[in-house]
Amino acid sequence: MSETTTEILLFQVGARVYAAGVRDVRRIGNPSDAKAEDRLVSGSVLGDPFSPDRGIVVACDDGNDRTLVVDHVIGVRFVPQGDVRPLPPLAAHCLVSAAVTGYALLDDLPTLLIDLPTLVREQRPGSAAGPERKERNDA
Amino acid sequence: MPEPQKREAGTRGAAGAEGGGSSESWYFALLILGARYAFEAPLVTEVVRLGPLTRLPAAPAFLPGVFTHRGEVLAVLDLSQLMGQQPVPIRPSTRAAIVHSGPWKVAVIADAVDGLVALDRKQLDPPPAEGGGVAEFLSAVGRDGKGTLAVLDLPRLVEAARARSVPA
Repeated sequence: MSETTTEILLFQVGARVYAAGVRDVRRIGNPSDAKAEDRLVSGSVLGDPFSPDRGIVVACDDGNDRTLVVDHVIGVRFVPQGDVRPLPPLAAHCLVSAAVTGYALLDDLPTLLIDLPTLVREQRPGSAAGPERKERNDA
Repeated sequence: MPEPQKREAGTRGAAGAEGGGSSESWYFALLILGARYAFEAPLVTEVVRLGPLTRLPAAPAFLPGVFTHRGEVLAVLDLSQLMGQQPVPIRPSTRAAIVHSGPWKVAVIADAVDGLVALDRKQLDPPPAEGGGVAEFLSAVGRDGKGTLAVLDLPRLVEAARARSVPA
């Protein structure tokens, strides 16, 4: 009997590893190869990457893809659907960000599950402007 | 300015675990930054050594993270920081009391465990009426041979945590 699994992408921002559903990921790229129209999100509630070496191009509902800049893309894992769960109620009620939707149990440790489209659209707490910036002028 | 209302001890479950027809109730006491706090004993399901914490991004300071216990992930609550005091240092000796009330199940970190305490319900006082500080989280205040014991009300704690998480 085969167990239903979910495919998640593991990535690292700063010292921490996060997980995200692969369905929201269009491709993995290099931020330095970003085109003028690419919207880079180099800081988010997850923090700033130590070395912005990789970019996760996120498919957004508004049709404007955004690239989340991260330290590393670790890879894809299949996890049993039962190991993907919502946050504990208190944590869910107290988090400012709506981008943290739950966690995936990996090797018995909770790895936070991030909704990438929400993350790249969210305004970072304490910042006046949104998280995204264009690397170059559109003109 | 509204007049502070005096709370009744026991109106939100401060009765604790009643001991066989007597007016005595049981409470589970914790030491947090030198003060004694307690939950009704039946609400405390376990006391555990705090495992590795998974930090939550953009979380308030009183919510230092989540950790796995018996396959379940629990939110960790630092009561001291919720009260605006310094954090409870997380050391190998740090313990967490797993407290369960209604939909809420949280791990409250403590410096040490003081253990079970029996108190006469008739001698429980209502918490101080003035708002703010620790009083807003209490259902009652009792006294025993070791001194004062502040009885915590988990739903009030959760409500305060939610209120303080909303960005200004």
